[in-house]
Amino acid sequence: MEVQLEHPVDEIKRLQRCINDLVSLLALPAMWSGSKPCDIVHTLLDSLLRMLDLDFVYVSLTNPVAAAPSETVKVAQSQEQLFRPRELCTFLNRWLGNDLQKRYLQERSHIGDEEVSLVSWPLGVQREIGVIVAGSRRADFPRDTEALLLNIAANQALTGLQEARLLSEQKHVADELDQTVAQRTAELAAANEVLRKEVAERRRAEEALVVSGHNLRLIVDSIPGLVALLTPAGEVELVNPQLVEYCGRTLEELRLWGTNDTLHAEDLPRVIELYSQSITTGNPHNFETRLRRFDGEYRWFHVRGVPVRDANGRILCWCSLLTDIDERKRTEDALKRSEAFLVEGQRLSRVGSFSWRVETGQITWSEELYRIFEFDRDVRVTLELIGSRVHPDDIPLLNDMIARAQGTGSDFEYEHRLLMPNHSVRYLHMVGHARRDRLGRLVYVGAVQDVTQRQFSEEALAKARSELAHVARVASLATLTASIAHEVNQPLSGIVTNASTCLRMLTLDPPNVDGARETARRTIRDGNRASDVITRLRALFSKKDSIAERLDLNDATREVIALSLSDLHRNRVILRCELADSPPFVTGDRVQLQQVILNLIRNGSDAMNTVHDRPRELLVRTERDESDRALLIVKDAGIGFDPQSMDKLFQAFYTTKSDGMGIGLSVSRSIIEQHDGRLWATLNDGPGATVSFSIPCATNT
Amino acid sequence: MNSGQEKIASELPLVAVVDDDESVRESLPDLLREFGFATHSFSSAEEFLTSDSLVQTGCLILDVAMPGMTGFDLQRELKLRGHSIPIIFISAQKDEVSRRRAFQQGAVEFLFKPFSDTALLQALNTALRVR
Repeated sequence: MEVQLEHPVDEIKRLQRCINDLVSLLALPAMWSGSKPCDIVHTLLDSLLRMLDLDFVYVSLTNPVAAAPSETVKVAQSQEQLFRPRELCTFLNRWLGNDLQKRYLQERSHIGDEEVSLVSWPLGVQREIGVIVAGSRRADFPRDTEALLLNIAANQALTGLQEARLLSEQKHVADELDQTVAQRTAELAAANEVLRKEVAERRRAEEALVVSGHNLRLIVDSIPGLVALLTPAGEVELVNPQLVEYCGRTLEELRLWGTNDTLHAEDLPRVIELYSQSITTGNPHNFETRLRRFDGEYRWFHVRGVPVRDANGRILCWCSLLTDIDERKRTEDALKRSEAFLVEGQRLSRVGSFSWRVETGQITWSEELYRIFEFDRDVRVTLELIGSRVHPDDIPLLNDMIARAQGTGSDFEYEHRLLMPNHSVRYLHMVGHARRDRLGRLVYVGAVQDVTQRQFSEEALAKARSELAHVARVASLATLTASIAHEVNQPLSGIVTNASTCLRMLTLDPPNVDGARETARRTIRDGNRASDVITRLRALFSKKDSIAERLDLNDATREVIALSLSDLHRNRVILRCELADSPPFVTGDRVQLQQVILNLIRNGSDAMNTVHDRPRELLVRTERDESDRALLIVKDAGIGFDPQSMDKLFQAFYTTKSDGMGIGLSVSRSIIEQHDGRLWATLNDGPGATVSFSIPCATNT
Repeated sequence: MNSGQEKIASELPLVAVVDDDESVRESLPDLLREFGFATHSFSSAEEFLTSDSLVQTGCLILDVAMPGMTGFDLQRELKLRGHSIPIIFISAQKDEVSRRRAFQQGAVEFLFKPFSDTALLQALNTALRVR
């Protein structure tokens, strides 16, 4: 730097002016505080142009911030023609170059046609803010004060610009921050809005929930059931007022239901078992138990507990509903009892009930009816099925009944027989009452009674009567023979006595011949008397009282069998009947022949009374033999008879039965002989005997 | 008829025969006489009761079955009247019940018709020995 001395006053003025300018310059930063960089540059350049005699002054900012121009040039007013800003910028830019190390540049250069002195100061140590260039054509540019001022100005500018930059950076940052904040705020606001909406929704939902919860509560409190909520572990958590009211217990007490008397002692073990199982497995539980009422009475309840699960299937709680079924249970029990009574009653009285929908053919039976018909409970009942059990002879009757029922729709009453699989016969009495259902369709409702016993009783009665008649006959025969015996014994006694007397008289010395003669005479007379008695006996069995007719021996046999059947069954006799295919017709007294057949059958049955190790088979057989005689054979499997006493069998008064009168076979033989037949007995190859008779067949008239 | 009858009636034991049957009333007395007894016959129990010889009767041969008063009725009646006449029952019916009853009521013997003369004689000896 050159120091040039000028006129001292001018120098002092110049120096004063310089100091003033210095002071102004020093005040600049204060002015610049808060200004933007471009404003700082502008005021700087304006101040410098004012202060100093410059042609132009130029600032270039490095990394201008916040809309600060990177280059600013101000040309002094008077030199505007000389220096065009744009050209200046281009030149100066080039002139400055990129050497950032240089602190200070001073050079005289040519800008266009003009020679200019250029001075540059860096703004910032390495031009980080920028650079300032001042130019003038004066050769003595820059003088010391100018240099000083420019230096200070540059410093000030630096400070100001730094500050401004800082500020603007700060501002930028602040702006950015603001922006970020604003953005953030906006975001937050948006999020807040969303949240607010959610909250509003949630609140609405909650309200709705509260309302629905309220409704639920209303429902729960008003359903006729006791409700309890339990934890997943099965502990009682909540109970509804109904439950509390019913039990008259507090929640605490109810929690102890497993050990106190809330549930009936008899039901408790079972309930605990089922409940524990349910809690463990997570499956709903259903059971019936008695629950103690507030007044100590126990009533039946149905308990149904279901688990409440979350979205993942985990159990949140158990909801248990207890319904009072006491009435229903009592009614059920009463119904069951009455049902049982009905079934029992039907069984005892052997009455079954049925319903028959005529149109559809649907038939419903009570249990007893299945039993009567001997069908399984699960068999579907149809008319065909019924028909399969009905006795073949009664099928027409059944068909008639069905036809009538379908046709007239009137009540009916029938008696018919069933033929069971074991060939036994059952007698049924059936009553049916016609009804119309709601749709006017015909339905029969009725009852069927098994009257087999009654039938058998009647048959037994009939048989007893005929037996009685038979016995009466036999009894009269007995008394007759008793009186005959009496009458025969009298003359016999006389004969013996007289004969004895006669002998004594004749052994006397001398013999009493007259006496002997008398006794002998009496003897003859008594003998005749006895003979008359015998004759009378024969007359008893003479044909005088019998009616001879043409009859079918098979028919007669069947009738006798029918009468004897119940007796035979009672004695466990198995009757086999082999009647000739073509009916053997005979002429004779039906009743007497039937008496013979009855006698033979009875004897055959009696012979097997003590048989236990083999079937008590009795065979009754008719046939026609080669000599045109009708044959009836009764073969038993009984104890047989002693062949030596064969003759005795047919003797009057011979019997092996303790209560027998021994009339049967002798009378039977008599009857048969009256019919020109013969009756005989033989022993079987196996056990038992066979008694047979044969009589001539009726001639074809 | 012969020597038997020549004996004084009062010395011979009197045997009464009560039977509604004629042949018995015919034949039995002769046999009894041959035995050496005195005998009277009656056709009914009533007849016997009203007879004079009742008291003297040493033994009674009595039929069971008779119209009107039966043999047992007579037995009872005699007991009631205090007559202890030994009775030999005779019957045409083989009736064990009656036989037992007769013995229960004190009869000496019960014979079924037709009976042998030796059986009768035995019974008579027993009866008269008891007396």
